[in-house]
Amino acid sequence: METAIKTIDLVREFKTSKGVFRALDGVNLEIPSGMIYGLLGPNGAGKTTLIRILSTLLLPTSGDAYVGGYHVVREASKVRSIINLVSGGERPGYGILTTRENLIYYAMLYGYSRREAERRVEEVSQLIGLDEFMNKRLNELSTGMVQKYSLARGLLNNPRILFLDEPTLGLDVENARSIRRLIRRLVDEGYIETILLTSHYMHEVEELCDRVAIIHRGRIIEEGTVEELKERVSSHVIYELTLQGSNGNLDFLRELDSVIGYKVRLSNVPGEARLRIIMAYEDISRVISLLERKMYRVRRIVRDEISLEDVFLKLVGRGLDE
Amino acid sequence: MSRILDALRPAYARAWVRIRGNMRVKTWLLWEVVLPTIFMASVIYAYHNLDAPRIFIGFVVVGTMMMNFWFNVLWGMGNVLYWEKETGNLEVYLLSNRPIYMLLLGMALGGMLNTGIRSLAILLIGILVFGAEFNAAGLLPATLVFLLTLAALYSLGLMFSSLHLVYGRKGIRINEVLGDPISFLSGQYYPISVFPTLLQAVASLLPLTIGLDGVRRALLLGEGMENLYIHLAGLGIMTLILLPLGIWILNRMVEKGRRDGRLIMRWL
Repeated sequence: METAIKTIDLVREFKTSKGVFRALDGVNLEIPSGMIYGLLGPNGAGKTTLIRILSTLLLPTSGDAYVGGYHVVREASKVRSIINLVSGGERPGYGILTTRENLIYYAMLYGYSRREAERRVEEVSQLIGLDEFMNKRLNELSTGMVQKYSLARGLLNNPRILFLDEPTLGLDVENARSIRRLIRRLVDEGYIETILLTSHYMHEVEELCDRVAIIHRGRIIEEGTVEELKERVSSHVIYELTLQGSNGNLDFLRELDSVIGYKVRLSNVPGEARLRIIMAYEDISRVISLLERKMYRVRRIVRDEISLEDVFLKLVGRGLDE
Repeated sequence: MSRILDALRPAYARAWVRIRGNMRVKTWLLWEVVLPTIFMASVIYAYHNLDAPRIFIGFVVVGTMMMNFWFNVLWGMGNVLYWEKETGNLEVYLLSNRPIYMLLLGMALGGMLNTGIRSLAILLIGILVFGAEFNAAGLLPATLVFLLTLAALYSLGLMFSSLHLVYGRKGIRINEVLGDPISFLSGQYYPISVFPTLLQAVASLLPLTIGLDGVRRALLLGEGMENLYIHLAGLGIMTLILLPLGIWILNRMVEKGRRDGRLIMRWL
């Protein structure tokens, strides 16, 4: 299978007032074409930095990266001719102009004549389902519609490779689902050859991506299909517990050798919390007694199926959004 | 020919957006004409009160008209890349694989047209309300001087936009530092002959000073090309230096921005 994106020992450092911050620390990736590839990691893990380097907007400090076979530094212009980038939560464009006018403008930037631009915008708006919003001003669009508009913009130059940086950031459940369906369709129906998508939503990556890399503190710490990643923690034991009582941190759980990682989420019920815990071996009775010693009441215990979140818990020791 | 048209397409696109955006809210014309007119009126009344010759009315009208372009260069073009970065448009520009100076050219053309409409309105007010008088014989040389002044000014704008790209919000200080002092030095409302010699020498290095003087000589005194060739040559040389220099600096700053992350990282 042809390689769409390849990085070799990619490093990016930023100078800050506190010294040098290494956002990418020797990233090695090889992404085959014809798929949606997910880059999963918490905020600040280096996802956006990597995507900005691959889209030629940022130079690496060292290392190499190739997109569509072209070097991102030495052949930046060729890379730009086959890619596009859509960032979630952004609203590029001019609020006072309509969706159609904004898209025509961008299409002209990509080299279309005015007439060609109008035609291309119609094609893309039909594909994305923007038709009824084309005459609305950009500043009148809802967040979900803006994201569709951004996706439409990302398709105007007919890119082979599309970078999507947190494409459902800030969207409600329904709009996020709709955007995910669109993204899947773009690859399945051959509009885009390869999509590299960053996200910090586990379910999004699990639902959409053919392969996934987990990035943490600028390093790729795991890579494979979602199933492969899950397989790597298949020998582990996962429980979800509903707790009541003492609040605060549960770091004492790490006293147990069996505990690899855990994540706490507040429940909808006041005073309750949900604890997801991953253990190297079955040790739930010791976990419960330790919790009870620390004045927690365990209301419910469920042994759970392995999810991508557990892979992350195992690798990092904490949840993605903590 | 088709390659030239293709290269100019982003400039056309940016100009189109700018003009369309401005035309959507037509009240801009009202505000942007009314405010400069108030200042213009105050100076005209001051001259009137001092029994200054009638020619000073035209003098002030030309100054007000041309100063609009200077402020457009500073606020409409100089800091445009900073705002485009903040709104996420800069990324789109850079990915479009087009030279960024073409976008600025579009910005300049759109700005010139919008400012031109404003200035025309001020000219009409000057003539109809304040009775400014101009010499029709000087129209052609005045137009030439005016166009060359615009070329030099917008080339300067190209350089300012690079500074804004690098210094971000702090770049606004550049506009503040350059706005009023240039307006003062170039003689918006008075001839620079009132300055001490040293200040006159400094002022004469500014394209706006040369442009204002040339247009006034042509429109108010009816001077022809034979008297204005030094103005034309000066502005031409300035444009020939400033334009390539502006493009070079802009390209360097874009590369620097890619290197240090300033192009895309909002916190930088």
